[in-house]
Amino acid sequence: MTAAAMTERPAYAPPQQYRLTFTGELRSEWTKLWSLRSTWIVLLCAVVFAGGLGALISANVPDEAAVGGADTALAYAMAGVSLSSVFVAVLGILTVTGEYSTGSIRSTLSAAPKRLGMLWSKALVFGAVVAVLFTVMVFATFFMSQALLEGTAIGGVSLGDDGVLRAVLGHVAMIVYLALLAVAIGAILRNSAGAIGFYVGVIMVLPQLATLLPWEWVADAVPYAPGNAANTIALADTSSSALSLGESWLWMGIWLAVAYGLAAVLLKRRDV
Amino acid sequence: MNGGGCGRSVVGMIEIEHLTKRYGRKTAVDDLTFAVKPGVVTGFLGPNGAGKSTTMRAIVGLDAPTSGLARVNGRHYSEFRSPLTEVGALLEAKSVHAGRSAYKHLLALARTHGIPVRRVHEVIDLVGLHEVAGKRVGGFSLGMGQRLGIAVALLGDPGVLILDEPVNGLDPDGVKWIRLLLKGLAAEGRTVFLSSHLMSELAQTAEHLIVIGQGRLLADTTVDDFVSGNGKSRVRVVSPDAALLAEHLAGPGVAIASPERGVLEVSGTEAAVVGQTAAAHGLVLHELRTDRGSLEDAFMQLTADAVEYRQTTEGVK
Repeated sequence: MTAAAMTERPAYAPPQQYRLTFTGELRSEWTKLWSLRSTWIVLLCAVVFAGGLGALISANVPDEAAVGGADTALAYAMAGVSLSSVFVAVLGILTVTGEYSTGSIRSTLSAAPKRLGMLWSKALVFGAVVAVLFTVMVFATFFMSQALLEGTAIGGVSLGDDGVLRAVLGHVAMIVYLALLAVAIGAILRNSAGAIGFYVGVIMVLPQLATLLPWEWVADAVPYAPGNAANTIALADTSSSALSLGESWLWMGIWLAVAYGLAAVLLKRRDV
Repeated sequence: MNGGGCGRSVVGMIEIEHLTKRYGRKTAVDDLTFAVKPGVVTGFLGPNGAGKSTTMRAIVGLDAPTSGLARVNGRHYSEFRSPLTEVGALLEAKSVHAGRSAYKHLLALARTHGIPVRRVHEVIDLVGLHEVAGKRVGGFSLGMGQRLGIAVALLGDPGVLILDEPVNGLDPDGVKWIRLLLKGLAAEGRTVFLSSHLMSELAQTAEHLIVIGQGRLLADTTVDDFVSGNGKSRVRVVSPDAALLAEHLAGPGVAIASPERGVLEVSGTEAAVVGQTAAAHGLVLHELRTDRGSLEDAFMQLTADAVEYRQTTEGVK
């Protein structure tokens, strides 16, 4: 072949019909989430703990612990749901940090080099899965445990009672909020052990320990902490809680905005 | 290109302009400028730690340059509306979640661009992973991981392919296969840019060479020119009058060695000169040939000062 023939070689034309879209990124994250065994195991654990623990505790309420009220009945029912939120948070962290620890983030961000679409689609897909799963779980647990509590001194409550439906839905919202917070923490820290440690230590445990500190301002600040901000929306009777319903939603929004803002800036700026 | 109205950049060009990348105090890539053209396989050669991977990561936007530009088709990688059909990249062998199957990994990537499932099966068959596509990638050998990486790179049927050490871990059959595959892809008018620290591998695959050492450009040339320009060529002479011939050839800049009786290896001169000298003195020659240096020799010579980790013999006594 002559030099002239070499340069006249026709230019290759790649396929034109494909486009990177946000819908595509959502579908990709959906595929990725369900193609890992850990997703199924962790969500199964969450379901078993939420339902099982709620039923077990509701079935064994000691008579002397029976200081009535809708929130006491709810607390017994939802004991397992709160615990399973930890499973959900860990899974949320792993959806991001698992990509960094295995290197698959390089494939993901080569396909979607603007990067932020990956963060939003992960959060949306995981948030939606958690919302659907826990709506089912929370209501199932509620009806099961209220049936068990019916004969006890606490007595069951019904969804028609004042604030109960809102509090039950509040439990779902709280878990979705914690799941979304976990995804953002994973995106900020990028390391599984670090992010899980941060979540358990700073989000879950620190606010409880902080109340033991001798300074008054700490006690005032504790209800606003990211791990506590959602507490009010899960209560039927909010009259004695530190944050009002509106403040509770507001602070959940603030913490999510801060976490995702930081995650987005870091994702854009850091090398992969 | 005249009157085509396609701007300054040729379609399929990879352009690196004054690219510098520092990690803390360490400079991985230092003011690197070169271009990679479509239609041929271009090799990216350099010792380990020379900055090859960093440069390739900068091209696909994973690492942001400290200064300078890396562009494909005249644009930054993140500006593409369909990155997977513009550039296919194999960066590190295992850019896959170990718990996911090869099929699901490819499917998840295909979904982002709306690439159909049919194409996923096509690339799986193309790289020969059909049997294991449903297995978790954690159990894959290095060679299987490389094949999956190549499948990912080819998924969008892109015009530009960037492959970082694609031959690593492949068995001899696999090496032969990828060599033919890459040449075929280049013959279709695609840009093929592959890195290696194995000079012998690139010599058989690439037509053009970019050589770097310690982050700097050392050579941007064709493989043929690179070898003849940098390799030490020697004239090998077999003669019954070798000792006499050596005396006549000796002069400034000419080095003569005699590995065995009756054989001379002369450097610093040419075969024609040796032949004329012999004729002028009536000496008999049995053999006269030029040994061109190998790509390996040329590479060693060029990078002699640019090897980052040099083993020393000091202290080994």
